[in-house]
Amino acid sequence: MLSLRESQTRFAATLLGSADAMDAPDERLAVYVSTVRANYRHALAATYPVVRQLVGVPFFEAAVDTYVMAVPSTGGDLNVYGDRFGEFLAGYSHARDLAYLPDVARVEWAVDEANRAADACGTPESLLAALAAVPAANVPAQRFVLDPSCRLVATEHPVFRIWQVHQPGFDGDATVQFGTGTDRLLVRRENGVVVIERVVHGDFALLRALDDGHDLAHALDAAVAADPAFDLGAALRTHIANRTLVGLRNE
Amino acid sequence: MAGCAKPMNSQLPVAAGIGLRSPHVSHVLATRPSVAWFEVHSENYFADGGPALVALERVRADYPLSLHGVGMSLGSTDPLDVAHVAKLRRLADRIAPACISEHLCWSSVGGRHFNDLLPLPYTREALDHICARVGRVQEMLGRAIAVENVSSYFAFPESTLEEAAFVAAVAQRTGCKLLVDVNNIFVNAHNHGVDAEGYLAAIPPAAVAEVHLAGFSRSGSCLIDTHGAPVAAEVWTLYERALARFGPVPTLIEWDTDIPEFAVLQREAATAQSCLEGCHAVAA
Repeated sequence: MLSLRESQTRFAATLLGSADAMDAPDERLAVYVSTVRANYRHALAATYPVVRQLVGVPFFEAAVDTYVMAVPSTGGDLNVYGDRFGEFLAGYSHARDLAYLPDVARVEWAVDEANRAADACGTPESLLAALAAVPAANVPAQRFVLDPSCRLVATEHPVFRIWQVHQPGFDGDATVQFGTGTDRLLVRRENGVVVIERVVHGDFALLRALDDGHDLAHALDAAVAADPAFDLGAALRTHIANRTLVGLRNE
Repeated sequence: MAGCAKPMNSQLPVAAGIGLRSPHVSHVLATRPSVAWFEVHSENYFADGGPALVALERVRADYPLSLHGVGMSLGSTDPLDVAHVAKLRRLADRIAPACISEHLCWSSVGGRHFNDLLPLPYTREALDHICARVGRVQEMLGRAIAVENVSSYFAFPESTLEEAAFVAAVAQRTGCKLLVDVNNIFVNAHNHGVDAEGYLAAIPPAAVAEVHLAGFSRSGSCLIDTHGAPVAAEVWTLYERALARFGPVPTLIEWDTDIPEFAVLQREAATAQSCLEGCHAVAA
């Protein structure tokens, strides 16, 4: 008699259509193949609604089916499956002509993560008080904590505009101008709602360096490299007030 | 009250509840409909924070709540995903649910998840395995769980036990409770040519903590547990037989695909409620 391990391994091989499948290829097993496929299509449709609108349902579902084989799920929580869909689309031959598509997917994944991220536990007042307590000579060595929901996405395509005109209820002019410059996007949760905003290149470089754990001096270098006219004071005031920066790392 | 232990609502009422899915959460919070209790899928609230979890806490403040897991892969021969169980524990500590349930199934093998409720072969080995896992999960959660019989479209030739005997043995050996899905019994009885009444007769009434009701669809000779239709007339009949055997138990209306407006779920729950009240009357 087959061991439980063998039964499960052969059942899995059947679901994957591989050669060591069980010899019971009737309509009953086909039910499992189609329900499993439908589960992933449904889950990724919820995470990637704009990608799905852009390519249409048949294309989207074919892409999901291929993705699931290429990047199998490894956990029991479908809400966190699909993180590499953007990367997958970048190499998906059928999407070769849609250069913007992988970045749209990256933004949708960032929105999804921002929705699930931990709640922040700092306020502009608490951060300003902590900064005021730092001796001036030590300020450049400070490392900042970003709100846990913050995600930074850089793209060479007008992804913000694409995302915006595909939101439910959008009824304005849906024209997207390609070749209109690059998007540096900050995705974050504000009062329980995920917002996406364009930030200038200097601010983006600063936030990315801080998010990567660099100290303020290194982050400033990165920001000035991105924008020689970068104004550190203004950037800090903006991103402390809007709660993107929420604390200092204690080291 | 956020963050406090909630002594109220610590048990599921013996009444009809509704499976709460995301399209209805804001409606429920805005209108506070008269519903005896709600059940949600645990994994949908595994997030570290954010609006869904806040909404669930608000639901929990006003209604008894049950956490129903769909992803633990209890019967898998892969190592138990302890991080998954830890997330469930974290959620349970935050929400203080009246009940926590999982499925008598497996979903993953060789590190690959199928994120579906796959059937087990009903063997002594599988019974020993899943009993050990249920025991381990109950230890990690610090409480008994309820386990649910799943629908299936395929019966392993290596099975040596009847499914109902397998389900009953899990409860007897681990002290866990049973979540009896009457629709799944009906679907399996049809798909595998088993007697549904005989199935009910094998279930120990004292172990039954909850009943699920849902709709199925038909595909060729097979009934499929889609949770996308009203409860079928034959399933209502089987439900009444189940209540006659188990006595009145908390009963849930589940609907997961093609989710209708909330009022449709309330009507299904009202039907279950009248069955429960009829059963109370017979018992009294």
